Amino acid sequence: MGKKLKGVPSGEHSPGMEERRAFLKKFVSTVFAGVLAPAILNAAPEEQAQSVQQVLPEIPEPEPGEGMENPVFQMMRDLRRALQKPLEERRWIMVIDLRKCVGCNACTVACIAENRLPPGVVYRPVIEEEIGEYPNVTRRFIPRPCMHCEHPPCTPVCPVKATYQRADGIVVVDYDRCIGCRYCLTACPYNARTFDFGEFYTEDRGIHSLMPYEQVPTGEYNKVHERTRNESPVGNARKCHFCVHRIERGLLPQCVVTCIGRATYFGDRNDPHSLVSQLIARPNIMQLKEELGTHPKVYYLI
Amino acid sequence: MAHKTYKWLTILTGILGTIGVASVIYRLIAGMKITWLSSSVPWGMWVALYIYFIGLSAGSFLFSTLIYVFGQKELEKAGRLALLSAVLALVAGLFFVWIDLGHPFRIINIAFHWNSSSVLAWEILFYVFYITCVFAELWFLMRCDLAYMRDQSHGFKKKVYKLLALGWQCPTTIGSFRACHSQSLRVTAILGAIGVPLAIGVHGGTGAIFAVVKARPYWYSPIFPIIFLVSALVSGAGLMTFLYAFLGDKKAPDHHRIVLKLSQWLMLFLGVDVLLMITELLVGIYGSIPDHIAVWNQIMFGEYWYVFWIGQMGLTVLTPILFFVLKKGSTFWMGMGGLAVATGIISVRFNLVIPAFVTPPIPHLDEVMNHIRLSFEYFPSPMEWISSIGIIALVVFFFLQAYKFLPVFEHYKPHLMQGTIQAKEVNYEA
Ligand code: SF4
Ligand code: SF4
Repeated sequence: MGKKLKGVPSGEHSPGMEERRAFLKKFVSTVFAGVLAPAILNAAPEEQAQSVQQVLPEIPEPEPGEGMENPVFQMMRDLRRALQKPLEERRWIMVIDLRKCVGCNACTVACIAENRLPPGVVYRPVIEEEIGEYPNVTRRFIPRPCMHCEHPPCTPVCPVKATYQRADGIVVVDYDRCIGCRYCLTACPYNARTFDFGEFYTEDRGIHSLMPYEQVPTGEYNKVHERTRNESPVGNARKCHFCVHRIERGLLPQCVVTCIGRATYFGDRNDPHSLVSQLIARPNIMQLKEELGTHPKVYYLI
Repeated sequence: MAHKTYKWLTILTGILGTIGVASVIYRLIAGMKITWLSSSVPWGMWVALYIYFIGLSAGSFLFSTLIYVFGQKELEKAGRLALLSAVLALVAGLFFVWIDLGHPFRIINIAFHWNSSSVLAWEILFYVFYITCVFAELWFLMRCDLAYMRDQSHGFKKKVYKLLALGWQCPTTIGSFRACHSQSLRVTAILGAIGVPLAIGVHGGTGAIFAVVKARPYWYSPIFPIIFLVSALVSGAGLMTFLYAFLGDKKAPDHHRIVLKLSQWLMLFLGVDVLLMITELLVGIYGSIPDHIAVWNQIMFGEYWYVFWIGQMGLTVLTPILFFVLKKGSTFWMGMGGLAVATGIISVRFNLVIPAFVTPPIPHLDEVMNHIRLSFEYFPSPMEWISSIGIIALVVFFFLQAYKFLPVFEHYKPHLMQGTIQAKEVNYEA
């Protein structure tokens, strides 16, 4: 039951009601496992390891000869395979298929929810472009996360080494060290960094007490940060981190699982069998501002 | 300066300075929210003023080296003034960049986690060495006067002078005084010589903070640090001309000659600065790289066109040249020309920083970054204005105090008379 899922749902292969329900249950738990993360984060490290084991959903095995596997499951399998390797042998990349993106902003919002982003902080806006003139008009949507550049211009400029590239290539910010000079914001050619000015949703609307949802701590970088007026991450540079806190739990980044058009893919470039490795070998692959020599790890299929 | 003017200036800057201190405390409590900066325009008024003051400092200092290192002896009377401005301007600049930090109290992280690939980290190092050097120079030049003032004063003043004199004793004979004076000049020359590369590092390096950012075509140019340096010299010379014209001993026979000489240096630096600016502009326009052109368009014909045309062109370039050409005989007008430059350069600093952010680095990004904290438009918030004016007033206040209580102009000249020391009458109240 629920062992396979066609890339595109088709009537003939739709599973029975029962199977369907079971599948949905599994799928939902896979997708929303991140909701449990804060509970795990508050636990001691040994307990964490244990509870991670507990919450990790089982990935349905594909059955040979049953058509295309759901890319989410394939990516999850790729991800867990990569996690078996030492950190420095992983190279996480993201592939965004612009022809599939419908510009719904679900990823933008999912990211905001996952990382408890305050107003004015955004990790993954979706750029909207109108091409041509009536009657020959089309629209193009370009989600723009952090490119996790292989040669990031943002890290060398940081005076305190608060932002750096991890061994697996993810560019991170150490909130507790960052002095908030915003040099990295000016240095990023993609405007991928935002500064947390300490805004709150409820305050903005003249409500004086903060709503509980604004007080939920963020679990970014596997650390708990209560967001109060002058404490980190307020006053820090913030950016997309490929959801490291999820990846390390065997989960895909939140934007990837939320994408309604299956336009966003994620995986290990060092693994030739991963889905993303296959995708970036296509001729219609490109990167943003390649000419700057940043070698982005976010690719676009156009 | 007339006693009355001095008094009123002290009161005015004192009040404004207090407001400045209050606004800085408010800023530290309330966070960066009180600014109208955004993630797309992450640097604004405070950073512009930071580079303004660093430039003023480096300019004044390099100016002092003309005297102590490169032997422009006729300007010697303005030497201490230049060093004093260098110290105060540097402190002001650092203060501006400090309050601009999201976590000001983590500044010490720079010492513990110093990043050698960051120009900003190098700059902090440069500032530390530089300020030590300037302080040392100033001390050597003033030590005899300070010791003398310590011996002459009482109470609290005595304590302050005692602290400043660092236990130095007045030379008691003409011979030992001369020896001491020439030693001071020697040490100053050496410190000045060390200071030259430091000051170039300080301001050229501040320019490099911007010039290395390949994400911003307007900044990303080798000429940028040079423009910083030259405009620093312009602002330093402007400030010196102004200060000396108004604070120097007007009755001295060489007063006019010194102001004129200062003005001539100012004209020279200004000429080079304009040349560099034209080069930048023409090459930029010729290249027609959209992002580059957009910035120049914004500067010259955008919403804040007046910063360029009135501030940069009118106040900084045309005014001093006009005053110099037409009113060469009047120290007042040359001094005013210097003031026009020293203040007009602020608009140059604004135009060096902020316009680089007006174009979204990715087309159409501005259309989806809707929140005010993501906006590509910027105008300083009321709190940014108030705190900036307050801090500047505070610096002027400290300058006035230093001018009154420190031996900025006069030299302690002992004459050996019947075995007792008599210093030349010194009027520090001027
Ligand atoms: S996209 Fe920007 S923030 Fe992300 S790694 Fe590259 S330069 Fe740094
Ligand atoms: S804002 Fe923080 S991360 Fe960015 S350069 Fe400054 S200290 Fe480093």
